[in-house]
Amino acid sequence: MGGALSATTIGVFLDSCNSPSTKTNGKLFDDNQLKLITEVADIIIPTTSSPGAKAAGVGPFIALMVKDCYPEDAQKAFVKGLDALEEQSKDQFKKSFLEISPAERTQLLSKLREETIAATKAEQDKQKEADAQKTDPDKAKSQTENAGFASILPKDKPKTEPRFFSIIRDLTLLGYFTSEIGATKAMAYVDIPGRYDGCVDLKPGQKVWA
Amino acid sequence: MSNLNTKATANNTYDAIVVGSGISGGWAAKELTEKGLKVLLLERGRNIEHIKDYTTATKKPWEFEHRGRITEAQKEAHPVQKRDYPYSEFNESYWVNDHDCPYTEIKRFDWYRGFHVGGKSLMWGRQSYRFSDLNFEDNLKDGHGVDWPIRYKDIAPWYDYVEKFAGISGQVEGWPALPDGQFLPPMEMNCVEKDVKKRIEDKWKKSRIMTIGRTANLTVPHGGRGSCQYRNLCSRGCPFGAYFSTQSSTLPAAVATGNLTLRPFSLVNTIIYDKETKKAKGVVVIDSETKETIEYFAKIVFVNGSTLGSTFLLLNSTSAEFPDGLGNGSGQLGHNLMDHHFRCGASGRAEGFDDKYTYGRRANGIYIPRYRNMGNDKRDYVRGFGYQGGASRGNWHADVAEMAFGAEFKDQMTTPGAWNMGLGGFGESLPYFENRVYIDKSKKDKWGQPVLAIDCEFKDNEQKMRVDMMNDAAEMLEASGIKDVKTYDNGSAPGMAIHEMGTARMGHDPKTSVLNKWNQMHEVKNVFVTDGSCMTSAACQNPSLTYMALTARACDFAVSELKKGNI
Repeated sequence: MGGALSATTIGVFLDSCNSPSTKTNGKLFDDNQLKLITEVADIIIPTTSSPGAKAAGVGPFIALMVKDCYPEDAQKAFVKGLDALEEQSKDQFKKSFLEISPAERTQLLSKLREETIAATKAEQDKQKEADAQKTDPDKAKSQTENAGFASILPKDKPKTEPRFFSIIRDLTLLGYFTSEIGATKAMAYVDIPGRYDGCVDLKPGQKVWA
Repeated sequence: MSNLNTKATANNTYDAIVVGSGISGGWAAKELTEKGLKVLLLERGRNIEHIKDYTTATKKPWEFEHRGRITEAQKEAHPVQKRDYPYSEFNESYWVNDHDCPYTEIKRFDWYRGFHVGGKSLMWGRQSYRFSDLNFEDNLKDGHGVDWPIRYKDIAPWYDYVEKFAGISGQVEGWPALPDGQFLPPMEMNCVEKDVKKRIEDKWKKSRIMTIGRTANLTVPHGGRGSCQYRNLCSRGCPFGAYFSTQSSTLPAAVATGNLTLRPFSLVNTIIYDKETKKAKGVVVIDSETKETIEYFAKIVFVNGSTLGSTFLLLNSTSAEFPDGLGNGSGQLGHNLMDHHFRCGASGRAEGFDDKYTYGRRANGIYIPRYRNMGNDKRDYVRGFGYQGGASRGNWHADVAEMAFGAEFKDQMTTPGAWNMGLGGFGESLPYFENRVYIDKSKKDKWGQPVLAIDCEFKDNEQKMRVDMMNDAAEMLEASGIKDVKTYDNGSAPGMAIHEMGTARMGHDPKTSVLNKWNQMHEVKNVFVTDGSCMTSAACQNPSLTYMALTARACDFAVSELKKGNI
């Protein structure tokens, strides 16, 4: 199991989330959690021929993003998922995630990935079923679809359950590929190209443009 | 006291007042000052100085704290601006705080606004297309709206004039429905686009064409401004001055005359009507920092406060003679609101170009001009649509597993992947009388003004058009050998295209229109309205170039009338 929020986490939530005005100064994660985030990110984007997520400073970036750019339910899901991952490590390997090998970390994240895919799919299937049952189009109207010509208006995205693995993966990719290391070492970055060539031969080893 | 008042009035008197400093207001300021008039240019927001105040223009991706994303706190302050992608960390300060300037959505309308010198000319998409007689005649032919009081020959020299100054790059095509202009060299299509162009034009025997986007980005140095550096960061403001904006182009020209006074933080609340002369004699300004009220006077007033900003000002300028808004004897002021509908098309994967790549970030795409309801083509809707789109090669690989991670995934993500080609339609919407705005006195903005209520929707004609917009895109891509073609219709709310037009339309007849063929108010001869509010129909082309041409034309007429003593 391991779904319970740890005491420290709850404390952090009470401090940071119940008073949004102080959020930018408050901390959402303790040092141990920050380390966990950093190591998870480094499994998602590891060091290969170029440095990985940890070297690119993606851990602190993810912590900042979850604090600043996500609503409270996603923050809670994130912290809960992070704690659950740590519990999982202790259950399975009798050690903290920080102490297990990269292979063991990958094993845990692979399992989490599969669970996340399955849960997301189940949610989507349920949503499709609900959509199919909607016969009265007026019922689909939301606050932003108020009384307009509903068939042309954008449909509000159905509210989906925030999931730890999806969030940390998204933020790792964003944080890494927009980092200086990610953009310049893993990808190819030119600050001021100065011209556009629409058709050049792809050179061997050419990285994708950042 | 009376002496003081006289002196204050003299100090606050100019030849012309221009309300708003965006694309059309900047042009009005340039033209009027160059013709020798002392001009007061009023801008409701702060000043943004060219280059110096483009605070994010040279930042690298990793220098943005949230890498472009907006925070929950920013979302809270921007409930409208946050609805679509233009509002991002990259130019966050260019967009309004929605709580300062609320409006009432009778139906959903996404109103994107930027209150600062330059207005949306700083963030605009820069696509610049001429209207043709097809567009100017549509209202008359199918009976929607009223007839445009001008034809292509009236505006063509003014398109030439503004294009030569603004610098529009593009390809001459000889396509009558999308007239050629005074172009700088075109940007290059990439190899997939070139192939798709050839196949579409072969298959439809040039009854459909594809051209490189005509854009207000300089492909060569022009008028003392640098050429495009292919960074694709335009909407932050360009440190090279390589695209047309008020700051890069019209404002320096106006300043150089010595005839311009620019006053930021000047929210124009009303236009003052003088019943003796039957003309406007000036404006009432609310200093948007101090909330102090000041009057300014002039012989002519150009209203360029953006489509709905200008119409709000006119509706708010009531008098015994004009109880329903200045120059609103027709009752048309506020009506016939239009926007383009879009977010509908198709895309797919291009094969056979795996050994090719691109260099540089081209801030431009391709354009397929309207071909529907032209010649013998007749659809179950009227008017038509054009496509914007393009091909690109990113890091998308078909064989990447869902939610993949790890070393192999990282390698894939950093290796050039599949070429993708997409086409997205921009459709004309009709000028429906019932699509309208009016003043809602139940709310107040930050400056104590009432607000606008917006009651606008797309209707049956637009919906039918979208079927073609989607299916034609797929058909053309498939005919071009594109694989795995997928159609999409992501829905479109009025306002989203940021091409809002109409609400103070031009027309022949003072009984059914607000402005005459010179953008002059039928009923108040020294007031000219030359922004998007003047539009009699929307066509499907991006409209800003037409505002520029109409503005320069109206300025020429206004100064000539002023000299003749007619106004």
